[in-house]
Amino acid sequence: MIEVKGLVKKYGDHLAVDNLNFSVDKGQVIGFLGPNGAGKSTTMNMITGYISATEGSVIINGHDVYDEPEEAKRCIGYLPELPPVYTDMTVKEYLYFVAELKGVEKKRREGMIKDIMKRIQIDDVSGRLIKYLSKGYRQRVGLAQAIVGYPEVLILDEPTVGLDPKQIIEIRDLIKDLAKEHTIILSSHILSEVSAVCDTVMIINKGKLIVSDKTENLSKHISGTDGLTLTIKGEKALVNEILKGIKEITKVTYKKSEEGTVSFTAYTEKGEDIREAIFYACANVKCPILSMSSSSMSLEDIFLEMTKDETSKKKKVKKVVTAKEEK
Amino acid sequence: MLAVYKKEMRSYFTSIIGWLFLGFFLLFVGLYHYLYNMYYAYSNFAYALSGVYIFFILLVPMLTMRIMAEENKQKTDQLLFTSPISISKIILGKFLALISIFGIGILVICVYPLALSRYGEVNMKWSYAAIMGFFLLGAAYMSIGLFISSMTESQALAAVLTFITIIVTLFVDGIASILPTDDKTAWIFFAVVALVVTLITYLLMKNILVSSITAIVLEAALAVLYFVHPAFYDGLIVRVFGWFSVVARYDDFSSGILNISDVVYYLSVITLFVFLTIQSIKKRRWS
Repeated sequence: MIEVKGLVKKYGDHLAVDNLNFSVDKGQVIGFLGPNGAGKSTTMNMITGYISATEGSVIINGHDVYDEPEEAKRCIGYLPELPPVYTDMTVKEYLYFVAELKGVEKKRREGMIKDIMKRIQIDDVSGRLIKYLSKGYRQRVGLAQAIVGYPEVLILDEPTVGLDPKQIIEIRDLIKDLAKEHTIILSSHILSEVSAVCDTVMIINKGKLIVSDKTENLSKHISGTDGLTLTIKGEKALVNEILKGIKEITKVTYKKSEEGTVSFTAYTEKGEDIREAIFYACANVKCPILSMSSSSMSLEDIFLEMTKDETSKKKKVKKVVTAKEEK
Repeated sequence: MLAVYKKEMRSYFTSIIGWLFLGFFLLFVGLYHYLYNMYYAYSNFAYALSGVYIFFILLVPMLTMRIMAEENKQKTDQLLFTSPISISKIILGKFLALISIFGIGILVICVYPLALSRYGEVNMKWSYAAIMGFFLLGAAYMSIGLFISSMTESQALAAVLTFITIIVTLFVDGIASILPTDDKTAWIFFAVVALVVTLITYLLMKNILVSSITAIVLEAALAVLYFVHPAFYDGLIVRVFGWFSVVARYDDFSSGILNISDVVYYLSVITLFVFLTIQSIKKRRWS
C-alpha cells in the first residue's frame, strides 16, 4: 500500500529525515512516535508530496509520489499539523470546495459530505463560519476534509493535539472507526494515544527509525526484566521462604503494605512466567494471594529508553532492525 | 482548476476586497470619465483612461497581496498542494480569478463609450483599443503581483513589494531618458550586470566552477562584442530599460494604435510571471 524507501530530507546541513525505510499494508494503523522535532511532520509531508525528498522514494498504491503525483495524491487524505481550513468559509462550503478540489463527481458530493459531517459530528455547525469554531471543531473539520473523497490512505499529523480529554477520546474512537476502511498513518508524541489506536508503532528520533513493531511486542525490544507485583496475606518471613523456593526470581523489591500482608515486585529474566509457580507455592502454605499483576514496561518506558541515548542504543537498534527483517 | 477559481471568486465577494477593488476602480475611472468626457467634453474615452492607469499602484496590490501569501501563512497551501491537482492548475485558477474580477470592472467601463456615443461622435475603435490595452496592462501587473505574493507569507510585504515594483515600471521610462547612450558606458554597465548575475547564481547554487566559467564566458562575449561590433551597444541601456517599461506599450493603445507586438509583449509578461510563480513554488518544495 505505502512503500517508503531510503527517504532522506536535508535542510542545508541539517538532516531532518535520515534514510527511512518502511512499508504499510492495507488496513493497518501505523503510529509514528517521536519527540518534538524528530522528523514526523517532515516525513508525512514527504509521503503526501507536499515537500520533496532529497533522496529516496515514496510509492502509494503503486504510484510514485514524485513521478505520478496526481494518481498518488488521489489515494491520500491528509490532515496536517494545523488543519488547512479557510476561516472565511462555512464548514459546508469548505467541504464542498475540498470535494471539488479532489475531483469528486458532482452528483456524489452532496451525499458524501452529508455522510462525513454526520460521522465526524459536525453537522450541527455546518452553516457556521470556520473562524468562529473552537479548536476542537476546527480539528474535526480538518479530519472531515481528509476523509472527503474516501481515499484509501489517511495521514493524520497529531490529530488530537490541543483538544480537551473528551474530544481526544471522541477523535480516537473516530480514528478506530475509520481504521475499518482506511489505511492510517498517524503521528503523535502522546504514547497512550498510539497504544490505544495503532496496531504498529514506529518510533523515530532525530530522523531515524529506531523501532518498528506491533504495539504489544514493543516491550520485547527492551533488554531487561519482567516484573510481577504481588500482595500476599501472611508473614514476611514466610513469604521470603516461598520466594526462595522459586528459582526463576532474580530480584525482589518490597513495598509498603497493610498489617499482615506483604507487597513486593518479583523480577525474573525476560520471558519467564512464574505466576503459576507462585500460586501453588502460596497455596501449599495457605497464604492467600490478594492481588497479582504483571508490570511489563509501559510504552513510556520503552520510548524513553529508546530515545534517551543515541550512541549506547546503536547496537540495539541494529539488533531490532535485523530482527524485523528476519520476520 | 475550476474549484480554485470558484473559491477565489467567492472569497473576493464574501470578503470586502472584491467590492473594494471594484468600487475604487469604478470610482477612479468614473472620476476621469466625468472630468475629461463630460466636463471638458472630449469625445475620446482613451483620454480618460490614460489618467487612470497610475492607480494600478493601489489597485493591483489590493487584489493580489493575499492571493498566495495568505495560503502560505494559514498553511492552507498544504491542502492545495497535496490534492490531486497540479500546481500549474492551482496557479492558473488563481490568476484567472484575478483577471475575472478585473474583467468585471472592464466590462462596466465598456459601457461608457456607448453611453457617450448617444451625445456625439465617438471614435469607437480608438476607445475600445484603449480599453483593451488597459486590460492587458492591468493583467500584466496582476501576474507580477501574483508572483510577488507567492514569494512571501506576509500580505503586507507582498503589497509593499508589488507597490514598489509598479512604481519602478512607471518611472523606468523617465530614468532611461537620462541614462548615457555611448558604447563604452553601455559595455561597462552590462559587464557589471553580468558579474552581479553570476554572483547571484553562485549564491543560489554554491557551485564556484560553473559560476566562474559563466562569468568568464559572459565577460569575454561582451568584450568581443564591444571591439568587433560596437554599434550593438548604441543606446542599449535605454533599450533594455525600455523592456521593463510596462507602461510605454500602453501609450500605443492610448494613442489609438493597435500594434500586435504590444499585445504579444503583454501576453509574454503575463506568461513569464505566471510561469515564474509556478516554478518558484515547485522550487521551494525542493529546497
